[in-house]
Amino acid sequence: MNRLDDHFDEVTGLLYLEHQLDPEHTRAVSEHLASCAACSGLLRALESESLWLRESLTAEEESIPAPLIAAPGRGTVQWGWVAAFGLAVGGAYTLWSGIVEPWVARAQQAGFTQGYLLTMLFFSGASWKGWDAMRSLTEFLALATLGTVAIWFLRKHWQRFTTIAFVMGALVLGALALAPSAAAADIEHGNPSYTLPAGHEVKTDLIVAADRARIDGDVDGDLISFSSSLTVNGHVKGDILAFGAEIRVNGPVDGNVRVWGQSLTLDSAVAKNVMAWIGAAEFDEKSTVGGTLTMLSGATELNGKIAGDVLAYVGDLSIGGSLGHDVTVRGGRLTVGPNAEIVGQTKYTGDREPEVSPGAKLGSAIQYTVPKRGPDYTRANYYLHRVFFWGASFVFGLVLLLVAPGFFADTEQASKKIGPAMGFGVLFLFATPIAALIACITIVGLGIGISALFLYLIAIYSAQVFVGSWLGEQLLGSGVGIGAAVGRLALGLAIVRLLTMVPFAGPWIHFVVIVWGLGALVLALHKRMRPQVAAAA
Amino acid sequence: MDRHQTTGAMSEAELAQLLSQVRAGDPDAWGELYRRYAPAIFRFCRRVLPTREDSEDATTEVFMKVRQKLGTYDSSRPFTAWLYKVASNHCWDTLRRRRIRQDLETGDLDTLPLEHPDPSQIERLQAEHTGKEVRGGLAKLPDRARMALVLRYYADMSYDEIANTLGVRRAFVGVLLLRARHQLRDALSGTAAAGAQKASAGGKS
Repeated sequence: MNRLDDHFDEVTGLLYLEHQLDPEHTRAVSEHLASCAACSGLLRALESESLWLRESLTAEEESIPAPLIAAPGRGTVQWGWVAAFGLAVGGAYTLWSGIVEPWVARAQQAGFTQGYLLTMLFFSGASWKGWDAMRSLTEFLALATLGTVAIWFLRKHWQRFTTIAFVMGALVLGALALAPSAAAADIEHGNPSYTLPAGHEVKTDLIVAADRARIDGDVDGDLISFSSSLTVNGHVKGDILAFGAEIRVNGPVDGNVRVWGQSLTLDSAVAKNVMAWIGAAEFDEKSTVGGTLTMLSGATELNGKIAGDVLAYVGDLSIGGSLGHDVTVRGGRLTVGPNAEIVGQTKYTGDREPEVSPGAKLGSAIQYTVPKRGPDYTRANYYLHRVFFWGASFVFGLVLLLVAPGFFADTEQASKKIGPAMGFGVLFLFATPIAALIACITIVGLGIGISALFLYLIAIYSAQVFVGSWLGEQLLGSGVGIGAAVGRLALGLAIVRLLTMVPFAGPWIHFVVIVWGLGALVLALHKRMRPQVAAAA
Repeated sequence: MDRHQTTGAMSEAELAQLLSQVRAGDPDAWGELYRRYAPAIFRFCRRVLPTREDSEDATTEVFMKVRQKLGTYDSSRPFTAWLYKVASNHCWDTLRRRRIRQDLETGDLDTLPLEHPDPSQIERLQAEHTGKEVRGGLAKLPDRARMALVLRYYADMSYDEIANTLGVRRAFVGVLLLRARHQLRDALSGTAAAGAQKASAGGKS
């Protein structure tokens, strides 16, 4: 029994009140209380405080959420998960049957197999014939995704509608406020076509959205085009940025040319660089590029003059012009014509040997490499790289764990909800890049789109960390503390890495890990984004 | 011990019958059990966890565990005691997972003020604060202190059960509870002081 200036201390008083003292101490306290008004007063206060605490804590004042009042149904899967998963499956099926399957068939007919399938899928001319269908699909997926996600996020918070309306209104106003900065350019909407007549000059950037756009005049700034067909005959003093089915540049360009579409024909001088993601490209004899050429393409003919390096990932590349620097090509076929001249080194990786005409002038012999398919399990380097990759992901996971332990734990917990996590993982894996690309196309949303894509890549990388940690918990148990968490992470990641090395099944396991971890991340983020209300309202 | 109940009147025999039906896989019986006890478990989680949404999720997860572990329940003990034990373990585990570094919170268990508090000050706090304010003050406490008060004064757990759940020695439970009371008094006094200041500022303007 503790005494303080002949009085019992507060702990002893509390233990006495709660009948936690042994009989001897209880008797001593009782005797003291009979003669001490101060200690009696303290005990009365503590006793009434106990009662007050009990009443305050057991009060049934706050509302119980509706889902908890209702008895759980036989199927407890929430509608949001079902909708999201259904939407993702529907979108994936449409994507497969409407676009991927026809491409695969075409690729096989064209003799492309395995490694070059990706090139064909994304950059062959046929792909962009389905542009309208693609646009409809992407719009549908993006809108449906945004709608589903928005409703799902807000489903428990309709009572906060005023706040939500305020936030959404602020976003819309923000977007409108941003619009004037984008409107610093001359924006033209063709109906359906737009022509800048010869002799006219636009003194600022020109943004054109039309079925067919023809630029015969000059542009003293950048030319940005979202047109099915774009023909540039005038002089562009800035860059050309174009999205469209058919792009033809006949006039001089003082800046860069960056295009994304079905076909590109260049018949003029570009002072700086050319970057093209294109089905088919043709650089005519008169064309010149002052800088480098970077391209992803189905088929390309280079008959002009390129001053800088050429970096190409092309299904079928034919070189007939003069290339002033090094050339690095990966593709299905490389043909070097009799009039071709390559000053620097040429590196080519492909299934077929390069066809070089005897008349071609090469700075050095072409370094030809046959690409290897899949990992080489016989090389020690392969395993060394796996260990490095494991180390990198472990360090990344460790940083996440130490910087945001709460969020890490939430995501690890969310990994346990395998069904919902997989559903949302599939949805966000496919829908996020689509939504981000659409945001990029709207110009105003370019920053948001690029940021979203960047975060998306980080999220995909971090997926393995959370799944690995979950796996570690299954094996090591759910010990608490930093040591246990690090141990779980290290072991789980190692197992994930090992599983992804399994021949044939490895890539699929990797895909499942990405989907699963991404979904868990989404669930944890959703939990974090919900309004934080003070406890025990 | 008078465990906090939120269910309607149900005799021990009826509860035993219900539990046996649940064990046999009767979905309606499970629904009935859930309806009866989910509100109490939600309120328990609500007092321990930081947000309403966390509490909703935790309630669902607690009942998933209850379903899995019902076979281990010893029917000679009160069902609510076992239920709160499952809930408290789950919530404590959740809180600990979110806070890897707990050293600051646990290092000064035995540091309590030596002097007696003024009984009139304790009584004044009780008079000035509503139950809702007390629960609000609870949210400002460290996890362990909040958990101790809820286990004792909401779930009516014994000192042994609290010690077992929180992983402290039984002899420390009293200290822990008293310290939590001090922290709650401080939190509420701060609220009262801020309220008085605000009222005073409002009066001047």
